[in-house]
Amino acid sequence: MTIFEALFNPSVFASAFRLATPLVFGSIGGCFTKKVGIFFIAYESIMLISAFFSAWGSYLFGGALFGLLFGIAAALVTGFVFGLLVINFKADSLIVSIALNYGAWAITTQLLVSVFNTRGSFFSTDIINYKEIEIPFITSLNNETLNILLNNKLLIVYLWPIVVVLAYIFIYKTSLGLRMRGVGINALASTSAGINVNRYKWLAVILLSVALGAAGSYLPLGGVSMFAESMTAGRGSICIAAVLIGNGNPLVTGLVALLFAYSSAIALTLTSLYIPTQIVESIPFAIVIVVFFVYGIKNFRVKSRLA
Amino acid sequence: MNKRIINDDFIRTAVRYTVALVMVIIAGTIFILVQGEDPLNAFRLIINGAFGNRAGWGSTLRYMMPCILLGTAAAVAFKTGVYNMGIEGQLYIGALVAAWIGYSVELPALLHILLCIMGGGIAGMLWALIPTLLKLFFNLSEMVITMMMNYLALLGTEFIVRWLILEGVGGSVVIETPNINNSASLPALIKGTSSNTGLFIALAVGLGVFILFKYTFMGYELKQVGENLKFAKIGGVNVVKMFMSIFMISSFIAGLTGAIEIIGPYKRFGASFAKNLPWEGIMISFISRHSPLAIIVVSFVWGALRAGAMNMERFTTLNKMTIYVLQMLFVLFVSVDYELLWRKIKTVLRGLERQLGETR
Repeated sequence: MTIFEALFNPSVFASAFRLATPLVFGSIGGCFTKKVGIFFIAYESIMLISAFFSAWGSYLFGGALFGLLFGIAAALVTGFVFGLLVINFKADSLIVSIALNYGAWAITTQLLVSVFNTRGSFFSTDIINYKEIEIPFITSLNNETLNILLNNKLLIVYLWPIVVVLAYIFIYKTSLGLRMRGVGINALASTSAGINVNRYKWLAVILLSVALGAAGSYLPLGGVSMFAESMTAGRGSICIAAVLIGNGNPLVTGLVALLFAYSSAIALTLTSLYIPTQIVESIPFAIVIVVFFVYGIKNFRVKSRLA
Repeated sequence: MNKRIINDDFIRTAVRYTVALVMVIIAGTIFILVQGEDPLNAFRLIINGAFGNRAGWGSTLRYMMPCILLGTAAAVAFKTGVYNMGIEGQLYIGALVAAWIGYSVELPALLHILLCIMGGGIAGMLWALIPTLLKLFFNLSEMVITMMMNYLALLGTEFIVRWLILEGVGGSVVIETPNINNSASLPALIKGTSSNTGLFIALAVGLGVFILFKYTFMGYELKQVGENLKFAKIGGVNVVKMFMSIFMISSFIAGLTGAIEIIGPYKRFGASFAKNLPWEGIMISFISRHSPLAIIVVSFVWGALRAGAMNMERFTTLNKMTIYVLQMLFVLFVSVDYELLWRKIKTVLRGLERQLGETR
């Protein structure tokens, strides 16, 4: 297998498309809070909690969609805690985020013991995954590349491109989105224009929670039928980077997230080449730094900006 | 006048902590009852586990040590508005370097310990130099870069131990370095426990940072930068130099923590040995409002809780995660602005009163 083949074969793109799901959902959620001017970095926590409850919901009711509902509900509760503390009680959002990240790990590990009576991870065939969907139109084209790329994916994988476009339309083409951005640019001016700032901030937090809930549900139900302690494994941090680079624009943010997913997909194919897992696993994070660097190169100054 | 302001502030802080404490105790009681255990018994076990005997004290002081150090590392950065989220990565790099110096070099005891500690600190500092320079020259958010570098450090140290030090032998061996030499090992504080003299280093670092902030010119400038960057700039503070020094001090302490954890309790570097500890440091720093002296007190409580939680886990069906959740809740409750909340409640109550008056 040449490097070229490793980088550009359709199955790599297909797995990038798949792996992008939690990253894109997560970072699209982050676009709303970014635009409304809330500093939020607890992606990892809401995703992890949603992942646990998705697994539980699917286990209890035998369906991935129940899992999704459970996950979103749990995400909304966590988001509610964040919103209540940060929006209404004016707590420092950085420390609330860090505490939630820390607590989410403790809560899910505790629940893993209380509910499933195991430590570390829980696997069960009763945790029903999302179903693969076959699109007859693509099958009928009889093109193998297209078939690998776009056919037989999970429902939630097909959803993310739609969500990206919807989020873009919402933020940039609706009056609700316009006001939301206004709140983010200048909350005081928005208040004097008669806008209830808190209401828009809450709207952003709710949308964020729903998106992160969907992102979290992919982790246990995206084909593995299991929940593992800290299974988000840095995806939340990658979302933070994507949102910052995209500056809250869903199209750019979605693309950046897709790029990060692509680097994970390449990393996955490298495992078959006997490259140590530690190197393979660190590739996506290294790519984030590189992308961030390229994005920031225009800021270069010999004399620092801080001065 | 001045005295009154201090009093108001004191009352505010006291209210904040009291409310948070009461809420956490209520939440804890509910948690423990839900799990079908006796809260009083659990509470007794926690106190017993933390202070009941020599082993308990040892365990409390052992966990107090990294809490002080990491809390101080976080306080230096966050007090001045620098987002050093990379404490975790700096800690791992420092720890690995200290472990390597510890087992590969032959030196007299005191010198060896000193070399390990300095090596760890400097390694952490060099690791943090990358985000610092990226911030200074490219204005890249140090938050994102340091977070990414945490994962690189975590996986990188694991890689080095697995493939360079252990040379890839065996499939299922525990990924850890050889034990450090006796000459590099910190002496125990209470015999037979993992508490060690690293605690004195931690206390010295805490006091050092306290003095730095309170009594030196540099500390004064650092505080200014944290309180009002623009004002500090106009006042002639060299912000670049300040940013560099904050980052370097913070990451040096983080690396040093790693080193002390290795030559103190662990004696060898194991992959991802300090799970979640760095984030606790940031939480402790925030609870203490970035004051080094308060950090020492909070760390004592934190260490006691950790030691007690393990005792509780041993004797009941309760999991120590319960305590971690309560710690999170405490942080969340402390972060709330109660004065604002009280004012809001008052306006709501007044509104209700008015409505009631109208209906009458």
